Amino acid sequence: MKKFILTVLCFVSISLTLSAQQFFSTKTGTINFEASVPSFEEVKAKNENVSAILKEDGTFASLALMKGFRFKVALMEEHFNENYAESSKFPKTTFRGKIKDFDLSQVSEVEQTFTVSGTVNMHGTDKDIEALVMIKKDGSVLMLTTSFVLKPSDFNIEIPKVVSSKIAEEINVLTTYRLKLII
Amino acid sequence: MKKRRNLVILALIFVLGLYFGYNYMYQDHRDINTEEAFKSIYATELVAIFKANDSADELNKTIEVSGTITEIGANFVTLDNAVQCSFDAVVSGISINDKVTIKGRCIGYDDLFEIVKFDQSNLIK
Repeated sequence: MKKFILTVLCFVSISLTLSAQQFFSTKTGTINFEASVPSFEEVKAKNENVSAILKEDGTFASLALMKGFRFKVALMEEHFNENYAESSKFPKTTFRGKIKDFDLSQVSEVEQTFTVSGTVNMHGTDKDIEALVMIKKDGSVLMLTTSFVLKPSDFNIEIPKVVSSKIAEEINVLTTYRLKLII
Repeated sequence: MKKRRNLVILALIFVLGLYFGYNYMYQDHRDINTEEAFKSIYATELVAIFKANDSADELNKTIEVSGTITEIGANFVTLDNAVQCSFDAVVSGISINDKVTIKGRCIGYDDLFEIVKFDQSNLIK
């Protein structure tokens, strides 16, 4: 009997949480980053397999696999993975945070700006960031775009002196997600 | 005469150095399609390996993965809700519940969705 009540309680609580929260997600979001210095080889990469989940209350989480960043120059990709991101040791970069004052009912086809704040975990190191995020509706899909600046030094990533003149100290990151409603 | 020969040799070394230097700097990307697979495995087995250790040996390797298609996206398919394979080109002629084998590069484990991700995939059968 006790077991039965517990099971019923479990089902009730699960269905309550399901109906209370809507989820939007993607497994094919895009992150571009660029750390080019004028007149040197461009330092630019793209990852098109980024996962992200947005809850109705504005809670946002994103995950990028470091091996998924692709560069134009193969050797640069190799150096990024082996020397800087150390992607075999730290295979993923995550962001967990919250979009302030997010109200799903206010989101429309016209782009609106919100502020997102949270923690980026890259190279095994946490860093709190705050950025502007543009959100609009495209049919049933939520389009989310944000750009911000990261510094390798904040994540314990050392750029050797020999190449430091060819890699910018501040890295521009641009991310885009097409989030679909799940359930 | 000897001086001239030395000059020619120096010039040759310089040109060779440039040639090898350039080839090193601008070497080709890996061609996942022609690379021999590190291993062949079922999608559900592969995800179990990564659940236990997210920097497993399979990371960054070319792998042949088999399973049943559970999701088809614009340029990806998911096998047994366990492995997502992204293609560089659009694939056609496949549908949900098809049993397929796909060769691609394993880029790691996504613990938000609990799936392993592949890129540069090719449909084998």
